[in-house]
Amino acid sequence: MTPSNSSANRLADAPDAVLAERAGDGDVAAFETLVRRHGPLMRAYSRRLMSSPAEADDVVQESLITAWKEIGNLRDGTAVRSWLMRVVGHRAVDAGRRRKSHSNVADQHELPDRAPGPERAAVSGSAGQALSRALAKLPEEQRRCWVLKEYGGQSYDDIAQTLGISTASVRGRLARARTTLVTELEEWR
Amino acid sequence: MNPTRDCGRSIEDLSDYLETGRSDDALHIEYCPQCQARLAGLRGLHAAALELLDDDVTSAAADEPGWLDAMLANLRLETRAGRSIPLTGGPHETLTETEGSVIALVRNVGDSLGGVLIGKCRLDGDVDVAGAPVDVNINVSALYGHPLPALAEELRQVVMAELLVQTELNVATVNVAFTDMREVAVETDTAERGEA
Repeated sequence: MTPSNSSANRLADAPDAVLAERAGDGDVAAFETLVRRHGPLMRAYSRRLMSSPAEADDVVQESLITAWKEIGNLRDGTAVRSWLMRVVGHRAVDAGRRRKSHSNVADQHELPDRAPGPERAAVSGSAGQALSRALAKLPEEQRRCWVLKEYGGQSYDDIAQTLGISTASVRGRLARARTTLVTELEEWR
Repeated sequence: MNPTRDCGRSIEDLSDYLETGRSDDALHIEYCPQCQARLAGLRGLHAAALELLDDDVTSAAADEPGWLDAMLANLRLETRAGRSIPLTGGPHETLTETEGSVIALVRNVGDSLGGVLIGKCRLDGDVDVAGAPVDVNINVSALYGHPLPALAEELRQVVMAELLVQTELNVATVNVAFTDMREVAVETDTAERGEA
């Protein structure tokens, strides 16, 4: 039967807005297409927010559950990508809070423990990798703000709301993070 | 390491300027060597961030192949039921179908036409009251090159026919709104034309 086949193909190149509307109406295939499209970005974002790849994947999984429940309330389907990122940001911050209240482990500043594969090794001399090392040295509260802003594209107000702090604190943390990161990058160059 | 030393402009002011391209202080920033040096630093940081994000997304996609399938399998997504739509049953039974299943029906029959992809579909009216008039409102994304009025008419007819067979809804109108026009990749385009 070609209809189902060609409709799956059509979903694959359908715009986000149409997929979001269909997912909101309960179309599982449309939601899965959105997840395949944006999943890697959500995972990358979560990994920068959490301290281990396993925790990061838990956050993505929870985010997908939330997204499926709430996508019907999304007004502007063209913004589904940034909406998904906002869901991940919220879930990550919640998970971080839970982790803290369940253990006395001090803030872990090290990066997710990923073995340097061939690809990583090849780019380890890049500005991106220098930034990665600099980020790992930032205090967690600053790193979170920076990642929510630069990866998540959230506004100062959004970040303040997500973290439960004032907008002024967000601006302060971001300024400190940027000052340190710029200095570190200049030293690397 | 006080960023507000010397000319007095903070890294926050400069970040805002970089983001918005506007500042009450633009004239100073343009001609201050210290501000210019800091802006260059911030631009370098931004470029490095884009590079790192790219690199992160690439490895996030590739690490442990199948991770996304596993997550999707864990979701066990349930379709949305919505309201209950009555069907005529025997004297001692209550027969209904869900609003969600009717909307899925509209989606499927619409998708089977070449050139359209159904977006949101709403059943407006008291669908849970037998015989109450119902308006079916459908958002449609269409491919370029298909004449819209003909497409809308065709869609109305197939949706109406399908609802007549599969439901007992008293459909008053089927309203089609084209919300999006899409271009498609060349090979898909030929396939679409072949179907039409």
